[in-house]
Amino acid sequence: MSKETHQHGSANWGIMAEFDDVPAVYHAAEKCRDAGFRKWDVFAPFPIHGIDEAMGLKTSHVPKVVAMMAMIGISGALLLQWWTIGVDYQIPNGGKPLFAWEAALPITFELGVLLSAFGALFGMLILNTLPMHFHPLLKKERFLRVSDDRFCIAIEAKDPKFDIDGTRSFLESIGGRNIDVVEA
Amino acid sequence: MTSMHASRQMLLSPENITLRASSSRGMGLMLFGAICIAITFVMALMGNEDNHMNTVALHAFHVGMLVTIGFPLAALGANMIFHQFNAGWMGAMRRQFENMMCLIWVGALMFIISLAMQLATVMSDSVYLFHWMEMWADPSHRTELYEHKAAFLNLPFFLIRAVLYFIVWMGLARLLWSYSVKQDQDGDRWHTAHARKLSAPGIVLWGFTVAFAGFDWLMSLDYHWFSTMLGVYFFAGSMLSMWALTAIIFVSLRGIGRMSGVYTDEHLHDHGKLLFAFVVFWAYITFSQYFLIWYANIPEETTFFILRKEEGTLWQTLSWIIPVGHFIAPFVILMARPAKRSFKLIAVMAGFLILMHIIDIYWMVRPQAHDAPAFTWLDVVGIAGPLLFFFGALLRRIGSGPLVGVNDPRLDEALHHKNYV
Repeated sequence: MSKETHQHGSANWGIMAEFDDVPAVYHAAEKCRDAGFRKWDVFAPFPIHGIDEAMGLKTSHVPKVVAMMAMIGISGALLLQWWTIGVDYQIPNGGKPLFAWEAALPITFELGVLLSAFGALFGMLILNTLPMHFHPLLKKERFLRVSDDRFCIAIEAKDPKFDIDGTRSFLESIGGRNIDVVEA
Repeated sequence: MTSMHASRQMLLSPENITLRASSSRGMGLMLFGAICIAITFVMALMGNEDNHMNTVALHAFHVGMLVTIGFPLAALGANMIFHQFNAGWMGAMRRQFENMMCLIWVGALMFIISLAMQLATVMSDSVYLFHWMEMWADPSHRTELYEHKAAFLNLPFFLIRAVLYFIVWMGLARLLWSYSVKQDQDGDRWHTAHARKLSAPGIVLWGFTVAFAGFDWLMSLDYHWFSTMLGVYFFAGSMLSMWALTAIIFVSLRGIGRMSGVYTDEHLHDHGKLLFAFVVFWAYITFSQYFLIWYANIPEETTFFILRKEEGTLWQTLSWIIPVGHFIAPFVILMARPAKRSFKLIAVMAGFLILMHIIDIYWMVRPQAHDAPAFTWLDVVGIAGPLLFFFGALLRRIGSGPLVGVNDPRLDEALHHKNYV
């Protein structure tokens, strides 16, 4: 099929290697990080404390998305209230100013929180490229065990340091087993 | 990472968790505080109708007393919350909160001095700190509103309540402290279980007494006014200033080379989160109180804010400084993760927040002295007296034993504490 040869001129998505337990995959991740790989990931049946450090992951960008959404929520709410009750449809009420920050604050707060929550949830999903309906690794029968009792490191062909033989022997050298090429 | 792998024996070696023995530690501060208190007392006696120094002395000392009581009171609550939630990360930090909570006697002492000062000004010039006391003393002055509140706002019941609060606070602090030091000696894990059991009813008692202390000592300064939020307001401000003071203690201890590997940037991070949380909580409570009063716009409720927002330049200025300095600035500064992991920044912010708490209480108490000049040198002295005395007593206490509860069963968890987000 034409799909199998895409722009990189390679039919492979990457290489996967299996590990038996947490220490093995943890230390292998440290070595992958130190070898300078960029497009790779660790797969495990449960969260591993400290794995982000071992993988050399930087802090996520979600907080920035949340901060931006909060700003939009706060300024949007203030604009909305100022325009509607202060300018467009003025209703004098109990001798209070037409537009007062006191009265505007609850809605400003709520909209700020609401958009922040949206930013946190959808920002997280988008940055994780979720929802993802298919992934090349799922074609591997062996890979299904990472949702049970296996750990796995997969290095993508897109990685600048990737070459099939070199990466295969590298994964072998860091203790990976059942090393397998994953087709795109 | 190296500190995480250091052995428990090394981390808990005497060089790391005790201060150099010194009999004079804190004495200078205590003496200086006592001198300030004495000056305040003398001014309360010397003041007259022209200079109003007696009124200023009473109010300024009241501010200092309330801020001072807030620290040990909040530390007592924090301790019971740690026990109740079996908080592992607090294992190595608990002792400093215990040191602070044991100083409720300083608050009680200040309360007695305040009563003596009030008695003196009443005898010499019939100047009252609590105006309802004047009505209680002289029935011919009573207003109808006071008659309605007389069942609660009368001197005998006021004193009974105060004694009750101090009994509850000092009793709880004493019991928790005795469990903790006994465990230092015998290592019996059951002391922790007992402390935990005591904390459950203790938190309830503490919550009610703190709220009612706020009503008694802050809200009743103007007996016309009422706010159901005020008890929580006092609690929120006191808790914030207590987290700030404990942060300063730990940062200082690290600064002089103690508790390294015991109080790490992971603990600092969580300490910073609590500071941040209480900055927000304080703002939430403050705004809730202000918002309802603003919206309802009922004269007997709005008096409090009209006095502070419309009358007197200083009160107006403070009404803007407090929301910005007590909430907006620390909220923005403490929000980011790196900020909460910086020893320097947390120490600076903690000092700043304690100052803001003092200003907040000042803003609540001092405008009540209607005739007196807005700000005088005596305000500084009157506030500084109880605070300096308290800081001195706290320093003495910190140096008097190990800085860590060495047999706490949660110590291992505390030493390995880490934030994963």
